[in-house]
Amino acid sequence: MNKKIVIEPMARVEGHGGIEVVIEDNQVKDVTVDIFEGPRLIEQVTVGKTPDEAVSITSRICAICYISHRFADIRAHERTLKIKPGEKTKLLRKLAHYGEMIESHSLHYYLLALPDFLGYPDAITMTGRFPEEVAGGLELKKFGNRVMEIVGGRRIHGENMRIGGFGKLPSEEDLEWIKEKALMLIPTIERGINLWKELEIPDYLEEETIFVSVLPEDGTFGFVADTIVVSTGEKYDAEEYEKVTNERVVPHSFAKRCRYKGKPYTVGALARLINMGDRLDGMAGEYFRKLYNDRWKRNPFYNNIAQAIEILYCLEKIPSLVDKIKSTPYKEAKSGKDSGEGTGLVEAPRGLLIHHYKIEKGLVKYANYIAPTTQNLDDMEKYIRNAAEKLLEKKIQDMELPLEMIMRAYDPCISCSVHMVKIIRK
Amino acid sequence: MKPKIGIYGLTGCAGDQLNILNCEDELLKLFDIFEIKSFVMASRAADESVELDVAFVEGSVSTAKDLEDLLAIRKKSKILVAIGHCAIYGGVQAMFMGKEEWIERYQKVYGKQDAVTLTAPLEPKPLSAYVKVDAALPGCPIEKEPFLKLAGMLIHGVVPKNPDYPVCAECRWKENECLLLKGEICLGPLTNSGCGAICPSHNTGCIGCWGPIAEENYAAEIKLLIDKGYDLDAVIKRFSIFGGTERAEKLRKFLEKEGRK
Repeated sequence: MNKKIVIEPMARVEGHGGIEVVIEDNQVKDVTVDIFEGPRLIEQVTVGKTPDEAVSITSRICAICYISHRFADIRAHERTLKIKPGEKTKLLRKLAHYGEMIESHSLHYYLLALPDFLGYPDAITMTGRFPEEVAGGLELKKFGNRVMEIVGGRRIHGENMRIGGFGKLPSEEDLEWIKEKALMLIPTIERGINLWKELEIPDYLEEETIFVSVLPEDGTFGFVADTIVVSTGEKYDAEEYEKVTNERVVPHSFAKRCRYKGKPYTVGALARLINMGDRLDGMAGEYFRKLYNDRWKRNPFYNNIAQAIEILYCLEKIPSLVDKIKSTPYKEAKSGKDSGEGTGLVEAPRGLLIHHYKIEKGLVKYANYIAPTTQNLDDMEKYIRNAAEKLLEKKIQDMELPLEMIMRAYDPCISCSVHMVKIIRK
Repeated sequence: MKPKIGIYGLTGCAGDQLNILNCEDELLKLFDIFEIKSFVMASRAADESVELDVAFVEGSVSTAKDLEDLLAIRKKSKILVAIGHCAIYGGVQAMFMGKEEWIERYQKVYGKQDAVTLTAPLEPKPLSAYVKVDAALPGCPIEKEPFLKLAGMLIHGVVPKNPDYPVCAECRWKENECLLLKGEICLGPLTNSGCGAICPSHNTGCIGCWGPIAEENYAAEIKLLIDKGYDLDAVIKRFSIFGGTERAEKLRKFLEKEGRK
């Protein structure tokens, strides 16, 4: 049997993308995740700009995780120019970042991933049997959006988070609202996590892989650090990121590809829980230890539940974080240097995000940005190939949905998760 | 009969489509009033075979495939609305970069010109570079309220004109202190209104992300900033970020007249 399965357009993979599987003589011949998203050359348009201008430009790389791009960019500039942000600034950034994690994860987990597992074409039809879960997902998403708006200035591309500090501090009233709302939403996400226990997780793709994430130096679980950790045990300083990513260009994608020591790897919520899950405390830690099993290391579908556990982690941390923000005085940090080189790391909802700069006399001389999906693409291809081979063996003809679900598990970008499927038979 | 609409994205960050999705409370009503034929970011069901009353298009034309898609959308749509900065002006990817050619920048990122063979890359341009655009909704990204207002007018067959005053008007309503008078670079006088002057309200100068107003007096602001002690190059660079392809032409001519570059 010769067959070509084309899943396209996959509305967005942090842009436009699709999957192509070529089957010849009952063998999977080729699997490619094609990235059509046009080249914007952001790494070139920031050259010659001031660090502040670069922050505004790089925030535009992605609407869904603008806080993470802005945060990584600010951290890169601050490391380069030896700017030490004040305590309150750091805490407020953390709050905005939690907001983005909650917003992004809840949209993916509830509205895009769960319908697949529960057998519904979309979240709207899922509402019939699971009204509270869908409403809860929307409530969480709205809360995350509001946190980003209050702290970041807007829901998308807010300009309030700046190098050295904030344009305007959130009001006590808004902070108090965030705290109360976070506490109210904890039972909502618990219900969402418990739903996962009922699900059957497909095993037709399983294979061990490598996981990469940041590793906070203070021994806690977190989304910000200057150290990269690989699940095989190696640690790298932020400035050595190229030893991990090894970017290359492939003909079927405007997004570059990454491999660690020649092997594909995974970043994102699953990678973070595999690499740092033993550091989780509170209810998030309890749920992690209850739900974790060996299959997590071989199966990207567990990224979905990892996201749900991270939502709980953020909600649990917000109340004490807000209290600390309120009791900490604000101080703007100023720069001492106008030249240097440095790399800023943060975890975006979808995984490790790297911004690297060389600055000369106050202007960007060189820039490099590596987004999470770039790093996940090779592993996505690997797992899609595994699944296609297994499903072919089992003589299962309709493999579009299972293959889509693998893509979706990586949460390549929200729009990528809902798309049209086409089959071309040779 | 319900008007048929499609919501599309070319190359960009998808923020405009995301903010349509962020109309959480009004979204279901919107889906009820219109017959949404294509919105791949929200729904798996898309029907590209029918004629559309209105197409909303986000993003810049940056590949041969983007162009092909845009031409197909134009052909089947009675009204085409450009949504967001990339679609109207080209986005940050279309900014004025001085003498350097786009293809040189492309090669610096991808190595060589034909490294990616999937579809041909094109220098990013706004929709109007290739097709007739009937209406534009500025923003980076667009805001919910103006989008809902526009949708409401389109349903009654009205294609509205955008307000032609700069964001400074909204800044005055907010009673903000003028940042330009304080000596900071603020692009308010040159920039479309509609955001409610968010950045100056956060003590941050306007970066111009709503795009240039039709009759911007950029020369006057350049002069004002130079009088305040700013370097011409720095001012040109700031003006270029969200200036798109249109202002790029103006800046090029301005620099020629000044005997620069």
